[in-house]
Amino acid sequence: MKKITAYCRLTDDLVILNGKPCEISFPSEPGPGRLTDIYRHLEVGYPKFFKMDNLSKAGFLASEMVLRSLQYDMETPDESTSIVFCNRSSSLDTDKRFQETISRDNYFPSPAVFVYTLPNIVTGEVAIRNKIMGETSFFILESFDAEKMIIFTDWAFSSAGICRVLCGWTEYLDGHCNVLVMMVEKESDKGVDFNKQKINNIYRT
Amino acid sequence: MIKPLAYNIVSPLGFTATDNYAAVRRGESGVVPCQDPVGIPIAVSRLDRSKLLKAFEKKCKPSQKHTAPEQAMLLSASLAVQEAGIDASSARTGFVLSSTKGNIELLGIPENDFGRERIHLWHNAALLSGFFNNPNIPLTVTNACISGAAAQIAAFNMLEKGLYDHVVVTGVDMASDFIVAGFQSFKSLDPERCRPFDARRKGLNIGEAAATLVFGKADGKGISLIQGNVRNDANHISGPSRTGEGLYRALCHTLQDVPPRDIGFISAHGTATPFNDQMEAIAFARAGLDHTPVFSLKAHFGHTMGAAGILESIISIMALEEGVVLPSMGYKEHGVEGELNVSTVTAHTDKRFMVKTLSGFGGCNAALLYQKHS
Amino acid sequence: METLIFDLKKQIIEALNLEDVTPDDIDTNAPLFVEGLGLDSIDALELIVLMEKQYGIKLEDPGKSKEIFRSVATMADYISKNRQK
Repeated sequence: MKKITAYCRLTDDLVILNGKPCEISFPSEPGPGRLTDIYRHLEVGYPKFFKMDNLSKAGFLASEMVLRSLQYDMETPDESTSIVFCNRSSSLDTDKRFQETISRDNYFPSPAVFVYTLPNIVTGEVAIRNKIMGETSFFILESFDAEKMIIFTDWAFSSAGICRVLCGWTEYLDGHCNVLVMMVEKESDKGVDFNKQKINNIYRT
Repeated sequence: MIKPLAYNIVSPLGFTATDNYAAVRRGESGVVPCQDPVGIPIAVSRLDRSKLLKAFEKKCKPSQKHTAPEQAMLLSASLAVQEAGIDASSARTGFVLSSTKGNIELLGIPENDFGRERIHLWHNAALLSGFFNNPNIPLTVTNACISGAAAQIAAFNMLEKGLYDHVVVTGVDMASDFIVAGFQSFKSLDPERCRPFDARRKGLNIGEAAATLVFGKADGKGISLIQGNVRNDANHISGPSRTGEGLYRALCHTLQDVPPRDIGFISAHGTATPFNDQMEAIAFARAGLDHTPVFSLKAHFGHTMGAAGILESIISIMALEEGVVLPSMGYKEHGVEGELNVSTVTAHTDKRFMVKTLSGFGGCNAALLYQKHS
Repeated sequence: METLIFDLKKQIIEALNLEDVTPDDIDTNAPLFVEGLGLDSIDALELIVLMEKQYGIKLEDPGKSKEIFRSVATMADYISKNRQK
């Protein structure tokens, strides 16, 4: 039976890991600075983090917490895990930043910003960090939809050899963060049932 | 079996799949020289806006104003849906949009008439399904350059799992200043028509297009989509893997039951950037496909991004149907290390299988397998 | 030259988001790529933007920029000879 074996909820002022709020002091004001606060609190030690856009930072941190809590082996290449994320605003937060670099009177398009104008880059960042070589996919929906996330996860499991899916809603726009990342095991007897009601309960906390 | 019931391409080479295929067979290209936003020479395959608007208004009789990507998307979907003869307003029909940047051009026009929500990809998708009065929530796939393959895999799964009886998959992207500037900052644009797999290749051309595949379940003659898989390199967010890791793995799963000798050709991603084409050559060789004919369609259409996977699949499906391997336009002198059988002439093939591959930023790679049934 | 090298280090840190790195941490003569700061291909492209934005130097061929971006010293040397602003 499909089970959620770990999950992380990340909003502007909340960090919840497996149902428990994390005690993180936020020296920064609400906004992107708080993602750095979480990074420092977790002592991640991954300088590439600072090159990421806010969407990737948020998805990366939530994934990091989920995988850590499962003691996931991030050193061994793993083709049995897939990453399927979705959100509402695509990479619009960074699209706006890139647009600023191409204004007529100050035209210096930044490659480091441009690369993040694709929302699936966050799935790539998590894949690189953890050597995950299964599928990586990104879907857009108008609003959070647990039913659709179950369907996407189901599809990912239909590809040969995939036994777990890191499934997430990763939304970041204009300084506001709304993220839920769950590890879903195809066959497990431990964990939270992977159904609409449970996902909605987790999302609404 | 999951089969394409109808298809359409809206590109500078024509507004039907038949016209586009005929243009490819004649060796035509939509790529023409022009300049980027600051006057640097580039080459783009651009849709003529007035021709597009005229065809769109004639076919779709719009009740409101639409952006160019919306026009291309709706025109392409309308023509394909009509040809398929399906009821697009039925709850048993699903819609999938494949796009990387949709209406991104609106971001550069703060005072536009389209409202704030129009910039969102979900809005584009809602416009698409809404145009046909379809009651379902449409899905948008945005997985960089492999979007068009990922969208077909989504449609495949929707039909396999019985979610819908028909799925309309439409891809669209335009050569906005946004995208041109971005690729220019990556130094990956060729100022001339691109040369996939060639020794003198310098980069890609951006291309504009919309393309639609209508999938359904059917038996008998024709082409079917056997399966598709996506795998990640887990290597770098923009640089292709030096070992072709993700593409190799996607190919292994997709070709599990089909030996290389049964594959007529590979319709490669072949963007004509130095690293992409080299990566593909490595992955194909590792998958035992170093003797299988390979071509890229990028010199005909440019890189049409969100539409690429759909547009290039359609042309390749038509080639498989006709029993021909297309020549890889722009290729003269072998430009990748290792064995790679780049197609140089139009050749006949009796083989039943064809592979479409795509790779993109974020380290994602996709392989699709199609079969001809006689 | 000293001021140029110091400014350049500051600009590199800012442009490449090298958090927790100060100008003093960057060895002027050490290789910027692979070892040293561990920069990658996107960083190299971003340095091209930095050269144009800060010093008005256009580097069109990323192949040729390899030598220029070998170290902060080689960059500073190239800038001092070619700067437009």
